[in-house]
This record gives sequence, C-alpha cells and structure tokens, in this order.
Amino acid sequence: MQGIVGVFRELDATVDAVHALKKLRAGNIDIYTPAPRHELEGILTHRPSIVRLYTLIGGLAGATFGYWIPIWISDYWPLVVGGKPVPSWVPYTIISFELMVLIGSLATVAGLFITARVPRITMTVGYDERFSNANFGVWVECPPEKQAGVTETMKRHGATEVRGER
Amino acid sequence: MSENSTPSGVRRREFLKVLGAGGVATAAIGCSSDRVEKLIPYLNHPDETVPMVSNYYASTCRECSAGCGVLLETRDGRTFKLEGNPDHPLNRGALCARGQAAVQGLYNPDRYRSPMVRNRSGQLVAATWDQALKLMEQKLGEVQKGGRAGSTLFLNRHESGSFPAFLDEWLAANGMPAHLSVDPLADNAVIAANRQSYGVSWPWLAFSAARLIVSIGADFLDTWGANVPQQLEFADARARLADAPRFVYVGPRRSLTGCNADQWIACRPGSELAIANALLGKGSVNDAATASDVPVATLQALKTELTGARPALVLSGVAGSDAMELALAVNELNRQLGAVGTTVQPDRAITSFDGIATDADVIAAVEAMRAGQVPLLMIRGVNPVFTTPKAAAVVDALKKVPFKVSFSSYPDETSELCDLILPDHHAIESWGDAQPMANVIAVQQPGMAPVYDTRQTADVLITLAKANAGIAAKFAAPNYMRWLIDRYPGGTSAFTLALEKGVGTGAVAASTAPRRATAIPKTAAPIAQTAGDLFLVVYPSCSLGDGSGANKPWLQEFPDPVTKICWQSWVEINQQTAVKLGVDTGDILRVETAQGAVEAPAYVFMGIQKDTVAMAFGLGHTAYGRYAAGVGVNPGDVLPVGFDAKSGSFAWTATRAKVTKTGAYTPIVTTEGSARQHGRGIAQALTVRELADLAAGRVTEHAEAMPGMPNTEYLPGLRSPMAADAQGVVSSNIKHKEQGMYSPDHWSGMAKRRWAMTVDLARCTGCQACVTACYAENNIPTVAAPYQESHTAFLHGVAGGNILKGREMNWIRLERYWEGGEDGGDFEARFVPMLCQHCGNAPCEPVCPVYATYHSPDGLNVQVYNRCVGTRYCSNNCPYKVRYFNWFGYGEPARPQYAWPERLSWQLNPDVTVRGKGVMEKCSFCVQRIREAEHRAKAEGRELRPDEFTTSCAQACPSRAITFGDAADNDWTVAKLALDKRGYHVFQEQLNTFPAVVYLKKVNHPAPAAPAGV
Amino acid sequence: MATVTRPDEEVLRLGPNIPEANIQLPGVEKYEQVTREIQRTLYPTKLWFAGLSVAIICMLIGLGAWMWQVYMGLGVAGYSPPVMWGVYIVTFVFWVGIGHAGTLISAILYLFRAGFRTTIYRAAEAMTVFAIMTAGLFPILHLGRPWKFFWLIPYPNWRLIWPQFKSPLVWDVFAILTYLTVSSTFLYIGLLPDFAALRDAEPRPLRKHIYGVLSLGWRNSELEWRHFARAYLFLAAFSTPLVLSVHSTVSFDFAMADTPGWHATLFAPYFVAGAIFSGIGMVFTIIIPIRRWFHLKHYVTLNHLDAAAKLCLFTSLVVGTAYLTEFFIGWIGGNSMEQSYWWNRVFGQWWWAAWVMLTCNCVLPLTLFVQRLRRNTTWLFTLSIFINLGMWFERFVIFDPSLSHEFEPWQWTRYAPTYVDWAILLGSFGWFTMWFMLFIKNFPVVAISEVKEIVPPPLRTPHPVEGIEVTGMRLAFEPETPGERD
Repeated sequence: MQGIVGVFRELDATVDAVHALKKLRAGNIDIYTPAPRHELEGILTHRPSIVRLYTLIGGLAGATFGYWIPIWISDYWPLVVGGKPVPSWVPYTIISFELMVLIGSLATVAGLFITARVPRITMTVGYDERFSNANFGVWVECPPEKQAGVTETMKRHGATEVRGER
Repeated sequence: MSENSTPSGVRRREFLKVLGAGGVATAAIGCSSDRVEKLIPYLNHPDETVPMVSNYYASTCRECSAGCGVLLETRDGRTFKLEGNPDHPLNRGALCARGQAAVQGLYNPDRYRSPMVRNRSGQLVAATWDQALKLMEQKLGEVQKGGRAGSTLFLNRHESGSFPAFLDEWLAANGMPAHLSVDPLADNAVIAANRQSYGVSWPWLAFSAARLIVSIGADFLDTWGANVPQQLEFADARARLADAPRFVYVGPRRSLTGCNADQWIACRPGSELAIANALLGKGSVNDAATASDVPVATLQALKTELTGARPALVLSGVAGSDAMELALAVNELNRQLGAVGTTVQPDRAITSFDGIATDADVIAAVEAMRAGQVPLLMIRGVNPVFTTPKAAAVVDALKKVPFKVSFSSYPDETSELCDLILPDHHAIESWGDAQPMANVIAVQQPGMAPVYDTRQTADVLITLAKANAGIAAKFAAPNYMRWLIDRYPGGTSAFTLALEKGVGTGAVAASTAPRRATAIPKTAAPIAQTAGDLFLVVYPSCSLGDGSGANKPWLQEFPDPVTKICWQSWVEINQQTAVKLGVDTGDILRVETAQGAVEAPAYVFMGIQKDTVAMAFGLGHTAYGRYAAGVGVNPGDVLPVGFDAKSGSFAWTATRAKVTKTGAYTPIVTTEGSARQHGRGIAQALTVRELADLAAGRVTEHAEAMPGMPNTEYLPGLRSPMAADAQGVVSSNIKHKEQGMYSPDHWSGMAKRRWAMTVDLARCTGCQACVTACYAENNIPTVAAPYQESHTAFLHGVAGGNILKGREMNWIRLERYWEGGEDGGDFEARFVPMLCQHCGNAPCEPVCPVYATYHSPDGLNVQVYNRCVGTRYCSNNCPYKVRYFNWFGYGEPARPQYAWPERLSWQLNPDVTVRGKGVMEKCSFCVQRIREAEHRAKAEGRELRPDEFTTSCAQACPSRAITFGDAADNDWTVAKLALDKRGYHVFQEQLNTFPAVVYLKKVNHPAPAAPAGV
Repeated sequence: MATVTRPDEEVLRLGPNIPEANIQLPGVEKYEQVTREIQRTLYPTKLWFAGLSVAIICMLIGLGAWMWQVYMGLGVAGYSPPVMWGVYIVTFVFWVGIGHAGTLISAILYLFRAGFRTTIYRAAEAMTVFAIMTAGLFPILHLGRPWKFFWLIPYPNWRLIWPQFKSPLVWDVFAILTYLTVSSTFLYIGLLPDFAALRDAEPRPLRKHIYGVLSLGWRNSELEWRHFARAYLFLAAFSTPLVLSVHSTVSFDFAMADTPGWHATLFAPYFVAGAIFSGIGMVFTIIIPIRRWFHLKHYVTLNHLDAAAKLCLFTSLVVGTAYLTEFFIGWIGGNSMEQSYWWNRVFGQWWWAAWVMLTCNCVLPLTLFVQRLRRNTTWLFTLSIFINLGMWFERFVIFDPSLSHEFEPWQWTRYAPTYVDWAILLGSFGWFTMWFMLFIKNFPVVAISEVKEIVPPPLRTPHPVEGIEVTGMRLAFEPETPGERD
C-alpha cells in the first residue's frame, strides 16, 4: 500500500483539495481531521453508518432476554410471594428494559469498533501526529505513476507539506 | 438406660446448635459434663428414650409456692422446656412466665459449680463434697456438744409437700427446733384471715361463678396467691362474654390485675379498710370517701351494685398495717353476699400455702441472730438479705452468727455471707412432692442428671444423719427418693403411677413439729402518720417475684406487663403530681424516707393515685449473678420494718416518702412506642350492649362484609384472593403447571391446609406468659443484659441499650394500649398479642430479593434464615412490625453479645436453629411443631387429628386466649372461632393483607349506670 | 481570527445574549491552543497530591469503620427498629442522584444540542461514573451478611436458585449495573479522540505510551468520525431513557412499599428531578474549583455556569413542587395514618431535618433568579454545598421519619446514627474524591475534540468559502469573560 499524504493548515484548503483530488481519480482518498467538521462530512461518501443496525439488534435481543429469564425461572420453580401470580410480567418489564439498554449500548460500541476498525495496533501509513492536533490531512492511495499529479494538486491547494509514503 | 444413644444425641445437639449459629458457635458449647452421658432419667413407662425424640417427665414447679404441675420436655439427657401439666388440678396445662423460666435457673451460668468453703482469708473457695460434709458434720457436732442445738435456725424456702415434714424430722433428730418456711410473696394476712374464717389458708376462688368481682388491691393475676389457677378461672369467667362478671378494682395503683378491670377506683393507700367497712356497712361511706379521696357517689354506686349482684366475689390483698383486719372484713362481706360456697370455695382449698412462717417470725429470727443466740444458721433457697428491708439490718445480724450454712444454688446476697455452701439441686434435678390441694399429691421428679456438682439438700441431710451414729437409724432410706416412696400412700406402684400423670391421690406426711408462736415484734405505724409528701407503694414485680427471678434473662427482658419497662427500676407517678413536680418520664426521682433513699427514673402513669408513687420490688441486687447484680434499685432499702398487728405479715405499703427531682435524666428502657392507638383499630373492643346487637345480627359497623373480615367468601381458610388463587381454591387463572405444590391435588396435599390463629381479647389478660413461652421454644436471644451492651449505643455494662434502640427480639409481643383517661379520669387498658400475621398478601414477601421469605402452600409466611442476606426490606414493608433482625452475633460464643453463656445454651430447643448474625427472623407459627405433628401422623399412617397440637404460646397461655390450627378444616376449633362475630383482622381495611390471625374483640362491662360505648 | 467583529449598539443594550454566547469560546482561537492548554492540566501539583492523600485518608477511615461493622454486626450502626434503613441507604440514593446530572449533561443536552454542555460534560460524566461506583458500595455494606451480596445477582447455579425478580432491590441491581456499564462506556468512547490527541501531543514517554494504548489506534480519519458520530448519538439516545429509568427504579424501592410517606406514585419523577438537581449542585462544586486551578476559565466561561445555574433553578422549582404535592396528597388523601405521618415529619419529631431540606432545596436556590448571583462563582459554589447538604437531608427525611412513624403506633421510635454511620459516610466522599482526583490529572477534564468543533476552524480566506457553513462568525457580547483570561 503506497500513496501520498498532504498536510493542510486550513479547512477550506482541505475541502478544495479533496474536491480536486476526487476529480483527479487518483485512488482512494481519506481525510484526517482533528475534529469532525460538517464541511468534510459528505465529501467522500454519502452512505450512512451501519452502526444503527447493531444498536437495533442488540436492543431487541436484550429486551427479549430480559423478559425470558424471569418468566422461565418463575415457571421452573413456582413460589408464591405476596399472593401475586407466579410469573407476573409487569415487574419483569423493568428487567427487560434495563437489559435492552445494556445490551443495546454494548452492541453499539461493538458496531463502532467493527465498522471503524478500532482497536488497531499500529498506525496506518500516512498518518501524522499533527492530524490530531491542528492540521488536516488528505491521504490518497495511488500507484507511483499517479503520484506526481496528486502532489501537484495538493501543493496547488495550499498543502503545507506533501510526502509519499509506502 | 440407653447409654449408647445419648452421646450421639448430645453430639447431634451440638451439631444443631452449630448449624444454627451459622457455623460460628462451636467449641465453647463442648463443655458438656460427662455425667449427662451417663444418665437418662429412667422413669417414664417403659423407658423409650430415643435420640432426638423428647420425653416428657411430669414434675412440679417450684418457682413460687403455688406448686403448679409441669412437664419437663427432655431430650438426649437435657431438659430444655417446661410445659404445664394438663392433668394438674391447679394449672390445667398452663404455665406462667416465671414457671417457664425455671430452665434458666437450672442452666444459670452463675450457679455454684461445687460446694464452697470460706477459707482463712475469708474467700469462698470451691471444695469437694467430702471436705464440705466433713466440715458440716464437725460443726453440727460442736453445736450439739455445746448443747446449743436448741437455738439453731433453719430458714427454708416454703414448699408444700413432704419436705417440711422430713426437714423437721431431721432437725428434731438433731435436737433442733422446727424450721421456718419462708415465702416473702405470701400474703400472710389473708392466709391468717382465711384460716380464721374458713379454716383453710386459701379457698378456691371461682371467678366464673361470680356476677361481680371486686378486688381491693388483690393482684390475683400478678403474684397474689396461686396466679395461674386464678387466671384460668378469671379468663373462663370473662369468656362468658355477655353474662361475664363485671370487675371493679380498688387500689392506689392499677396493677396488671387492675388493668383487666372494667372500672378502677383509685384510693389512697391505707384507706382500703375504710372502704371495705363502708361496703360492709360497718363504716359510713362519707368517712371512707374522705379517707380514700374517692368520690362518695362512686363508693355508693359500688355498694349498691355489690348488694345487687349475687353472687359477688370480693378480694383483698393489701400489705398494709391493717391487712388482716381488712381481710377479715372482706371475708365477712363475702359471707354476707353469699359468696362463700359459690365463688369462695373453702372445700376446694389450695393447700400450697399451708405452714408458711409469718414475716414477723423471720424478723424475730433475725433479732435472735443479732442477739448472738444463734450458733448455727442453715438457709435453703431464701435470700433474707435481699427480701427483708435494709432497715432490718440482716447483714449485721448474720455477722453475729458464728457459722452460717447455705444450701443456695446461686451466689445471692445471703449465701455470699455464709461460711459453707452446700449447693442444692435445682427443682428440675430434684425429687420431691407437693400437696396443692387436699387429697392431691403432685410428684416432683428430676428431668435430667445434675448440671453441676450439686446435691439435693434432702440427700445431704440424710448423708449427715447417717454419719451421726445416734440418729442414723431414723434415716434408713438410702436417699430422699426412697424416703418419699416409702411414705407414699400406696407405695411404690402408686408412686410410679403418679409419676406418669404427675399427680396422685392422698396426703403427704405433714410436719408434727410444734409451730413456734412468736410475738409481733414491731407493729407498723399507720401509713398516714409517717413522714413524707407522697405515699410509697412497693409491690412485687410480676416477673421477678421476690427478686428470685432476677438472674434469669428471660424475666429481666420480660417487659413489665403494665409499664412495659425492663432491665430497669422506675418510679410510677401520676401525671398531675408529675406536672406539679415538673417531672417528666425519665427524670430521675429521689424517693426518701426515714430509712434511706433510692433514685430511679420517673414513669408518668395514669394508673396511679395522685398522692402516691409506686416502685416494683425484685430489682437492685448487689450479687446474684451477671443478670441481676447492679440492675435497677431495691425499694426495700427505704422501707421501714413494720407488721400488720394481727397477722404479723410485713407491711409493704406502710410509709410515705419525700419525692424530689434530682435533675438527672435517663431514658426509660421500654418496649413501648406510642401508648395510644390513634384510632387505628389494633385492639378493638365492644360493650356488652354492642355485643348483644352483634349477636342479634342488628346492624353494627361490623355487619357489612369487609374483605378479610372472617365472614367473607375467602373463608374458610382465611386465604387472600390472590393466594387462594395461587393455591387453586378460587377459580384459577394460573396454569396448573405453575402451581406446583400450591396445587390442591399436589401429592403433598399441603395446599389443602391453612394454618391460622385466633386471639380472644376478651380472655387475654396481658400476662405475657406467651412471650416467655416463645423465647423458650424458638431460641430467641435476650439482647439487653449488661454484658451485652458493649458496642451498643455507647452503653458499656449498662443494661437495656439494645432495648432503647428497639432491638428486642420478642417474636410475640404484648401491646398495651390506653383508651380514654386523657382527662385524668378512669381509663381502659387493652392488651393485644402481636405476632407475625402470616398474611395471605404478605407485604414482606415480594420485596425480598432472594426468596428468603415466601408463602408456603399451607399458608405460612416462611422465613429461610440460610437464604437471608439481611436487606431488612421485609421489615420495612411489614405493617405489623413483627420481624426481628440479628444486629449482633447473639448466637456466637466468641461475641460480647452472646446470649447463652454456659450453660444456658443447654436450654436451646434442638428443633430450632439459632439464627446467625445479620439475618431476619420472626414468628414461624412454631413450624417445627407443625411438621413434627405432620410427620407423626404420617408415621402412624393417619391424618392429623383436629387440635392435635398447638403452638408454644397457645399451649402456655394461662387465659387460653390463643387458639391455633387449620382454618381450612372445619373440625379444628380455630376454624369455628375465626367465624366468631367478634372477629377482626388488624389493618385489613387499610392494607388488604389478609392476615391469618383473627382477633376476637374484647368485651367491656361498663357500670350499670354508665352509657354505652367505651 | 479576522472573523471576530464587535457587536452593534442595540445588542449592547440587549445585554448578554447567553443562548448564543454560551457556545462561544472567545478566549480560544486555535486548535493548537486547545490541545496545549488541556494537555497542560495533566501535570500533577503539590496541591493535588495533598488533596489526593486527604481523600485516601477519609476513604481508609470509612473502610476501617466498615470492617468493624462486618466483624461486630450491623448493631454498631445506629439502626433502631423499625428504622431498618438508615444513613447507608440515604447515602446510596444521594450518590445515585449525583450521578444523574452527568448523564443529563452529556447525553440529554447532547440530544438537545445545548451548546453550554460542551466544555463541562467531561467532568460531569466522570463524576457520574465515580458517583455510581460510590453508590454501588452502599447496598452491599448495608447488608446483614454482605459476603452474600452476590445472591442478588442472577448467576447460573446448579440448584437454579435465582433472585426474586419481583423485588425492587433486584431491579436496582439491574438498573445500577446497567447504568455503571453504559455511562462508563459512554465516557470512554467520548475520550477516544482525546486520547489520540494526547498520544500525539504528550512529551512524557510513559504517558505517551499509555495514551497510545488507550486511544485504541484512533487516527481521526473521516471514516472513524462518521461511525463515531453515529455511535455517540445512539449511546446518548440510550443513556437518556436510562438516566430517567435508573432513578425511577431506585424510587421504586420506596414507592413499592406500603410505608406511609413512601407509598406514592409521585416518586419516580420526583426522584429524577431531585437527582438532577443534586447532580448539578455537585457539578458546580466540582467544576468551579477546576476552572480556577486549571486555568480553564476561558473554556468554562461564566456563560456556561449561568446556563447551568438556570437548569439548577428549574430543577429546584420542580423539586419544590414535588414537596408541596406530597404534602397536599398526604392531606387530601384522607388517610389518617398518612396525615399523622406528615404532621410528624414536618412539625413533629423530625421538623429540623425537614426544614433543613426545605431551606437548602427550595429557598436558597431562588437566589438564582438574580443574574448577578448566577454569574458569581463564589455564590454558586457556596450554594452548591448547601444543595448537596439539602439533597442528602431530602433522602433522610423521606426514609427514616417514614420508618419511625408507621402503621403500628406501638413501634414508633427514634433514630440516631452512630460514629460508624458517619465514618462510612465520610469514607464514601473520600472514595469518590480519590477517583476524581486521579481522573483529572490523567485524563482531559475538558473534551479536546469537542471544543475544537466549536472553535472557528483555520481558514485560508476570511470570507465564507463555497460549501462551508462557518460557525460562530458573530461573537456575542460577553461582559466578564475576556477579563477572566489568564
């Protein structure tokens, strides 16, 4: 995997650069930004995150389990307390709710980790410490023959530094 | 006699206790004396002692002079519970709290382990019996050689039966005068008067035959006379509801007996005779009124009512300076009212009190000692240093006696001063007999081998006699048991038969020794002439009696039935007087007479005449073991020595006292929260008229079918709708498989039963025998002994700290609510035994996070100790507040709060675990008895018989107020009683809990003139 | 920042424009500045060590008291039956309540897009986690047999003996554990980008390494941000009902009982409002010293405090209404037992506790109607102390007077805590403070990346660029804030 990474100081410069690079069709583009900016949101892709799926499934699973456990236990070992029906669903709703939240949230986190591919052991090629601090970065994965064009585009749009990585 | 069985049994017993104490109580209990292994009493026919199966040995209670019959429940060589003997004519199966606490005297940790001899440096040191007996022989020899045998003294605790005769025989043989039979509680004046009027000392009092009962200070429910038979009779009388006798109590203080009265006439102490004479017609009502500070109208009304009601029963029990005169007047009154023969039955006399020496005799003996005339003093079972007023200076008198022998089993004030202790067996370890009534012999047999190295005094005397060649021939019998059997009418066979039932017929050998006639040394001055601003009434404590009960934690923690105070002395003072003195409950008062002063906290009390203060006698020991010493004060310290001129009985209420506020304060150690019901209908009552309406079905507030009233569709069975639903009784919406054991056709058949209880408040007298019975049956720890108070509320060595924090463990408690009287007028006391109601909709159950409490198919509210984690939520949610928590390791010997120091732990009921630290406990309806009965029935291949068994409280109750059984089976008494029109459930209207306990309303008998409605 | 302009005159006359101003950080101009100034707070000081050791000592005192109690039995505490729940349960509910403000600020205000949450939510959320950790101790140490607490947790066992799921205490176990898990996850997820930032900015090698591990290899790529935003949104969406449900469940411990004074349908909303109220009080107690000692006054500006104070005032009014409703229902319900209980609570045996509660929770917060007091940090801090006290007493007043004055007059009683109760209460504060102290010197107490979101981005040209919605172009008028820069 090889490509070019450009370091930008300004937001608008980054945006312009990305637009230009997309036109260039040099290769996959990725953007590094210290903080999520709406300006950068829709540029690369419009596909919505699928984290919501994990959340849905987790929540449903939790709710079901939260009902099943107490009801099964009451049935397995019927003991009358306070003259109440042995399996009484009303109080079990609370158990169900809590488990829905618990498992739903954990599933969401799992979803985040899977889709965003964290945790990862090593930094990928092209990352620069400045990207978490103040600078924007654009990474274009491209074969050597295209690198000249990419470098030129970035420079044109005010990249403070452009370097090839492999 | 199955020796092999016992060790295993003993080990099992330990094992159970270890289990109970949550695996912590272990080695310390291991000090079981090997003698227990040796002997299982071989008395029942034929001996079927099986490990872990109880034998019941019929015997006689010696806690007071009455001598009720008891059954000693004994298992694996240990007697652990006393129950009333149903065949006994006096107590008919009931037993009072003091009687039940006898086991704590037996296993008392402070008993003498062995004989004690005073050494040169003046300490009492343990000795062997050989040494002790040798010393005794030597002293006897000296006395006889010195020719002074005639002036020796033997003070014996009074007991009816053969022993007095035996003792006098022995004394005579040694050339000694007859013994003095001492009972500080005996009302000598009344006994003397009865002898004079009827020729018997204690006629049978048939309350149930009376239309009107008037008691002039006679506390026949507390300590006056034979209280258990009297209570049985009284309760039977009250159980006649509509035509039950009205009860008027005349006296300066409203005792427990007074609290059971329909009307209380508060009179000044010392004015009782005037009142009696007025009623008799000998004196004018006006004089009586002025003397007693009672409105003329009241006395007049009483007089007219008395003449109207036949037969009536008038009693007097005032220990004043004119006691016998009063008693005679009352007897005369009874004769006039035609009571003799109907309500007063001399022909059914109780003979237990025959031969009691008067208090004057005792004091005379003391004076003899003081004069140095007594070379040798022998004391058995009495404690004159404590029971006679300090003013009598018994201690100094004792110092004048060169050699003093005590047969006491406990280190009490007197035996501490003696030179030789030959510890006696406890009654449960001894042979003996009693003559409760003419032609009735009650036998006394040991339930077990001696706990400590003690010997029965009678046997000691025989041994001594044998050692003396001169008289050995007179005492051929090897031991006292043989001596008894030889003299028993009908011989061995009859004796053996009597042992089975506990009673036989015939008369025991009576003492032939001449009764010494002593002059009354010192007549009490009329109370009104003594110095002081308030009358001082000293009365014997219900629970501690003459103080001999003070070393038994059950009795110390037993709240006084009236004031509900325990582990503490108090001064009862009327609220008007209190306001005048600026005193409130808990302020320490100084009660001062010419003889001395005592200080105790005030208890502001409606039930005491406004010129009077009262103190209970029995506390304030300086010795007598860890439970008694230093607890409370002894009002005897301020009493003058004075006697009723005629009978020579001691005048307890013969002085006035100067009462001052010290400014100090101490919280009152009471189990009482609020003494008022605040209209919550916990203790309900109705008047005779309302009762009539109810019976006639006329509309009253009880007519409409309120859910849970024992007349709704959920009866029989007292099941709640939901519980009944769960138990498949009503149309069930629950799938059958979910019912499990709750299904009526489950093989166990448990769901067919519903254990329930009725409490008849018309019968209940509030005596609290049930409370002690529960402590005894269910291994309930006492929590407020002085040594238990370290780490509690910063009270170190002060009794009552845990009670101050409300941590008493009484699974069944007697709530005493006052009704009326806010205006200072007459008021009513209502007693409610409150225990776990085993609700059908138990609020405690659904909140337990771990199923530690749930509802059993047979309707019990089960508490699983081993599952309990101690969230205490159940108690928060219990409206009746009948759940009790183990705040400390009461069952762990290593703890400062250990409730059963050796060898009290031997009393523990092997059927019940000792609860560990940090778990909740409560009334189980004696589930161990339920299961035992069920298993017995199963083993015998039959169904349970109706009323086959009952709970411990119901069994002991001397008023038969409690009935227990299966409410779902109409053959049981409880099922019928639950349908009584007087029945109600506590808090059912507000909380819909569907309790299994049905209370039957108390019935009040207002004065004929008085308007309806109490 | 060429984009900053002075406001025109009529804005001046309008006075502070808080709603807009509180999403502005005029003192913060550059991304670098954010990273630098937050990273700067992570250097331990003497004062910090002193505070930490005090906290640890308090915790040890509490620990010792608890060990004594476990050894002797619960009797060493002040329990006097039927008051079976005392200081421990009061403190339990107190800490649970404290926790709620954190989640409110981090989750609910996030959903509501309330700008003032940005700089205070990290501290608040940490407070939540530690408060729950503290609260969780109390149900265990108030048990008669604490070593058996795990019986309340549904764990598979061969006898199939499970908890009794109808019991509110089991609901508590679920609610509290869920709450602890979810809120700590929420906290950690929010921390991820900051860990990344610190990993890259941190000069000290050891810490750099630790942050590297904690950041899970986060690299600020657009892909990550996209999923991150989504996940964060859903976590917030879960936390919102959770925070409401947890304290409702806690309130069920009491509302489900039949005890007069507990048995009220009002309890769920009443407890939630109280929780948030007490939580915000605690936020003030925490954030005001921090913004001072960490020189973060230009991050946590007076406008933020002002806005939070308004929320505090609002919840205080809600709580006050709840009190009045309780009294009213107690009276109008016509149940004599309820009425006698209420009388005893407010005018009888427990009047002092009740009036401490009313003063601290209903009267003093009314001062927040005055803007000058809302913007006066000294007063806010003092008030927050009173609020904490008052809310502790609220729980005390709800629980113990009820138990001491129930249906059965014979069992009416008093209650007085002992030295053990107090020591354990102190210990709980020590435990909480210890964790918080450790947090603030090792983790960013202000969210770096979220602050960067509201800092105007570096732009090549001062004019709006095509496609760029440039936030915060207009700076609202702020009286004190600039002066507060240091």
